[in-house]
Amino acid sequence: MMLSLAWKNIWRSKGRSFVVIGAIVIGVWSLIFMFGFYNSFIEALSRNSLYHDFSHIQVHHKGYLTEPGLAFLLNRSEELVDMGAEVPEILATSGRLIINGMIASPKTNLGIQVYGVHPTDEAQVTGLEEQLVEGNYFENSKRYPILISEKIADKLKVKLRSKLILTIQDAQANITSAAFIVSGIFHSKSPRINESVIYVRHADVVQLIGLDDQSYNELAYLLRDTETTDRVKVNIESKTENLLRTYREIAPEFDMFEQTSAITKQMITFIIMLALLFGIINAMLMSVLERTKEIGMLRSIGMHKRKIFLMILFETCIISLISGPLGLLAGFATNRYLSINGLNLSSYAGALEQYGAEAIVYPSIDYATYPLLMMIVLITALLGAIYPAIKATRLKPLEAIRKI
Amino acid sequence: MNVIELKNISKIYNPDTIPVRAVNNLSLQIEQGEFTAIVGPSGCGKTTLLNMMGGLDPCTQGSVTISGVAISTLNESELTDFRLKNIGFVFQAYNLIPVLTARENIEFIMVLQKEDPKVIGDRVDNLLKRMGITEQKDRRPSELSGGQQQRVAVARALASHPKFILADEPTANLDSEATAGLLEIMAQMNKDEAVTFVFSTHDQRVIDKAKRVITLNDGAIVSDEIHL
Ligand SMILES: Nc1ncnc2c1ncn2[C@@H]1O[C@H](COP(=O)(O)OP(=O)(O)O)[C@@H](O)[C@H]1O
Ligand SMILES: [Mg+2]
Repeated sequence: MMLSLAWKNIWRSKGRSFVVIGAIVIGVWSLIFMFGFYNSFIEALSRNSLYHDFSHIQVHHKGYLTEPGLAFLLNRSEELVDMGAEVPEILATSGRLIINGMIASPKTNLGIQVYGVHPTDEAQVTGLEEQLVEGNYFENSKRYPILISEKIADKLKVKLRSKLILTIQDAQANITSAAFIVSGIFHSKSPRINESVIYVRHADVVQLIGLDDQSYNELAYLLRDTETTDRVKVNIESKTENLLRTYREIAPEFDMFEQTSAITKQMITFIIMLALLFGIINAMLMSVLERTKEIGMLRSIGMHKRKIFLMILFETCIISLISGPLGLLAGFATNRYLSINGLNLSSYAGALEQYGAEAIVYPSIDYATYPLLMMIVLITALLGAIYPAIKATRLKPLEAIRKI
Repeated sequence: MNVIELKNISKIYNPDTIPVRAVNNLSLQIEQGEFTAIVGPSGCGKTTLLNMMGGLDPCTQGSVTISGVAISTLNESELTDFRLKNIGFVFQAYNLIPVLTARENIEFIMVLQKEDPKVIGDRVDNLLKRMGITEQKDRRPSELSGGQQQRVAVARALASHPKFILADEPTANLDSEATAGLLEIMAQMNKDEAVTFVFSTHDQRVIDKAKRVITLNDGAIVSDEIHL
């Protein structure tokens, strides 16, 4: 009977109940939407740095981190390359020779990092070939080919097939220069690479600076499954003197993304729930005050305070049980639609790319979020009901008779 | 046996500011089966007296004993329970639950008392018939006339067989036809089920129907007559 009375009481002031229900629906919907949007944003960010820049595991000489350059080349690099082929979890391996250098066009020059790579290996590990927007991938060039990003091409004011002069230091600190022809222009999903990296063939650099063709100072392993990263690292670590680092160790921002994302989501949830809390308190308080006389009568004829309290609690619970699922459903539908069709943010593409995110967002959300949000809504509703319910129990039975 | 026993009760409102002595050292006994009217001019203390009898308002001095229980000894929750089980209330403004139908309003107290549904059903049917509102049983209070609403209120008060029924000016909002009808029903229930009724009024037609008339003035009894 208490439930049916509570149910009937909700609909006596339809307008107010609908406002509260609507507020909860919109609150829950916007949370789900925001979560989905945010998740996909963070995922894209992480995915892009993982698959187009850092890879799962990188290997360097132990001294390389303190002194990058040619002083610390990888020990027994051929073994590392072989392990890349033998360890089943490893999908692809790319050895690199990274040198700081200067690139000059007829107009200007720039300090950059030269990545000497094996074209096919690099294509497999970072998908460099697919990121070409113009030209070809180190192909049929009589001269030394070079790949530069759109951004660097802009800065140097050069085009495809322009000639560039690359100046680097060899292992003996002799300055060497050579002419390169822009064979392709790429657009990486990693902002870092767009900003400061150019690619040349490993064979060309080692020849230029007089090193043997097993000389690498960085080696990147791309795994089939991210989950196996730590295991593979431990496995290879035991077989080499070189230093292994996972993508999380290389780029602490991976953890930071996840943590800030969790904190941001919690904060926004808290703020929205706080707003709903006050909305609920306000609506229920009004509803109690409007029923002063009636509640007084109920107390007079023998309804216990506890039951009055429960009645108000039930009313709020029912409202949240109607609106919570509606909001979840609306959020689910929106995310579902957008996860198929994508949310096109092209107009903000420039800004998003700065962070390595994508212009089209496909919201994704963990299913556990739905019951969790429902719980949070229910708890908010209950919290919101407590004060009005206490107010209701404080009403004196006499009110019924006096307020005529 | 005395259902209600008031001993030297007084009620002083606002004792700290402007004290109003609404009931002044009043003693009174009401027996099982009485049909008693408390009468007197407006402001003489009728409502205050009924509130104290009903355990809705504590008295400043004196004691109220109902069926042998001194209600001042009960705590808040016990008093609520005591009202639920022993006292039926009828209010001037009907005060039905607006979202419930006539039938549900009558059931309400029995449901609060967790009565057996079969017992409730039979009792409610019987009361609806006696009150002559069987046809209106599924209507909400807003769809009933004042007289019909007050009959529902009387039925609600009667439903769980309380020791007595307190009605503060039950006919004040009713026209003379509805007043006569309601009193007819109350008198009939008093006769059939020996229900004790205590009601306040200043309507002469209502006073004429009472078997005992207690007249108040300035919070004190000025006359106490038995009408036969
Ligand atoms: N809550 C209250 N506070 C102060 N004075 C009150 C209160 N209720 C009633 N009174 C006063 O007590 C006296 C008796 O009132 P009441 O019992 O309502 O009389 P009646 O019901 O006979 O009209 C009146 O003088 C009235 O003004
Ligand atoms: Mg009065």
